[in-house]
Amino acid sequence: MALAATIDLAWRNRVFYLFAAPFAALTAVFGLWPIALSIQVSFTASGTALSAAPSYVGLANYATVLADPLFLASMARTLLYTALAVVANLAFALAMAMLIDSPRLKTGTMFFRLALFLPVVTPDVAGYVVWRWLFDRSFGSINAALGSLGLPEFGGIASVDTVTTAILIAELWHHAGFYMTIFLANLAMRDRALEEAAAIDGASAWQTWRHVILPQLRPAIVVNLVYATIQFLKTFTVVVVMTKGGPADRTNFVSYYAYQLFDQARYGEATAMATILFACVIALSLGAFKLVDREAAR
Amino acid sequence: MNHRLRAGATTAALYAIAIPISLAFLYPYWWMCLGMFRNARQVLGDPLRLWPEQFDLSAFAEIARVGGVDLWVYAFNSFAITTASTALGIAITAMGAYALCRQPDLPGFRWLRFGFLLTIMYPYMLLVIPVYIVVFKLGLLGSYAGIVLFLALGPIQFFLFDRFFRTLPREVIEAGICDGASEAQILFRIILPMAKPVLATVALITFLINWSQWFPILVISRSPDTFTLPVALLSMNGELGASFRAIMALAFVTTLPVAIAFVLAQRRVMEGMAAGAVKG
Repeated sequence: MALAATIDLAWRNRVFYLFAAPFAALTAVFGLWPIALSIQVSFTASGTALSAAPSYVGLANYATVLADPLFLASMARTLLYTALAVVANLAFALAMAMLIDSPRLKTGTMFFRLALFLPVVTPDVAGYVVWRWLFDRSFGSINAALGSLGLPEFGGIASVDTVTTAILIAELWHHAGFYMTIFLANLAMRDRALEEAAAIDGASAWQTWRHVILPQLRPAIVVNLVYATIQFLKTFTVVVVMTKGGPADRTNFVSYYAYQLFDQARYGEATAMATILFACVIALSLGAFKLVDREAAR
Repeated sequence: MNHRLRAGATTAALYAIAIPISLAFLYPYWWMCLGMFRNARQVLGDPLRLWPEQFDLSAFAEIARVGGVDLWVYAFNSFAITTASTALGIAITAMGAYALCRQPDLPGFRWLRFGFLLTIMYPYMLLVIPVYIVVFKLGLLGSYAGIVLFLALGPIQFFLFDRFFRTLPREVIEAGICDGASEAQILFRIILPMAKPVLATVALITFLINWSQWFPILVISRSPDTFTLPVALLSMNGELGASFRAIMALAFVTTLPVAIAFVLAQRRVMEGMAAGAVKG
């Protein structure tokens, strides 16, 4: 009876199924199917993973991955880099948004916005290729500039001590304009009457910013925090173009490490690693959605 | 008087921060353009030069063929793949998002939305590898169709449409129903014409995003014949013998189309990307 009613409801709305059909087909074929396939492969022995009759090994791949000191080190490095990159990007983006939004800057704000946003739409491969050469010790202009100012040389991507800073700079160049734009959109929507009231009450500029403006930026901060965290956990292209995980594994982040395993045909372990990451991202996203929902309810 | 002097000093200080930072963000582009005109000896001798010694175009002769394929093939692939995946993606996502917004409670529609969210949450570069197996099973490996179909699906497109259809007043649809219009007529004659600004924004942003794609194209391709400009640039970047000015010239060719598109439609791109993100 219930089934008949469901079928009847679906049949009466068949035109909507027709509208959604291509979208559903793409989601199934290029989303759900590969995800299911990946989870299935994570339970099989790498050598037989792609054959017609794979041999199942239970959780052996997960055990291997979780006991692999390289994976654990890579995970720790990824988390540390993510924390650094999120803080650096959001702090810079917020500072630039406040600067550009300042009523004292009347001319030129569009130029500043364009300059910071252009790298966002620049193909990441092209941007990172240029940065790779900018950091180069003999071709690059960064060390030449430091040298002519009498400052010590910057090791760039060649040195263990500076490689994290170097890719952080390149990634900040590529991403910060996006976060800045979100802050600017939020700043444009704020209630300016509150600031006038604060000025009448004799609040200092710092007090006004800290207690009147910053609380109103909560939505942008939450959105940027979620976006940047997911963004930097996935750090990949900059590693492929600039460092190949080196020097001394210093930039061998999880996504690059998993990709290398795929390259070496260690499919079982690589997909197990992917599934672990997937679980982390889902947990993180659910937490973030809750946060956003609570924000919306306020 | 003293007060105005201080205000002037603050303004000057703010410009003294904003101008150098903006120029620093633009400098890599300038350096890239200089690099394609200068030979290796000139760059090594004076990396800081702000104007090329000569406008030598031999770098473009060096990149006329990259990895055994003509440059124009990569350029054609870039335009063809980006345009096709953008057009297809917009058509499919607009219809899908509309159906999900109009009738969210139809049997299976909640599952479809959930499945799509799950897909975009999966770590992208790790999704691409099982996609390789799927494309292989479908017999689309090394084909344009495989690349275009995979690139057609994306989160920002969906969220921008979703946002627009949610804010659509119900009266518009009810008026259509009263006039006896079919659901197809309501969508194609009433809603989509109203959605023109959103369609333009989504088209522009999808084009910019798909132009930059490289990993899925590299994975689904069987040979450089289906590579786009960023993929060609990446493989040249990995070659030992490639000259510096040739790499800069190829980076320039890869960047120029999106830079032009962005400068022409800056506001739409920045506002659209921010809106698509806030929804997601």
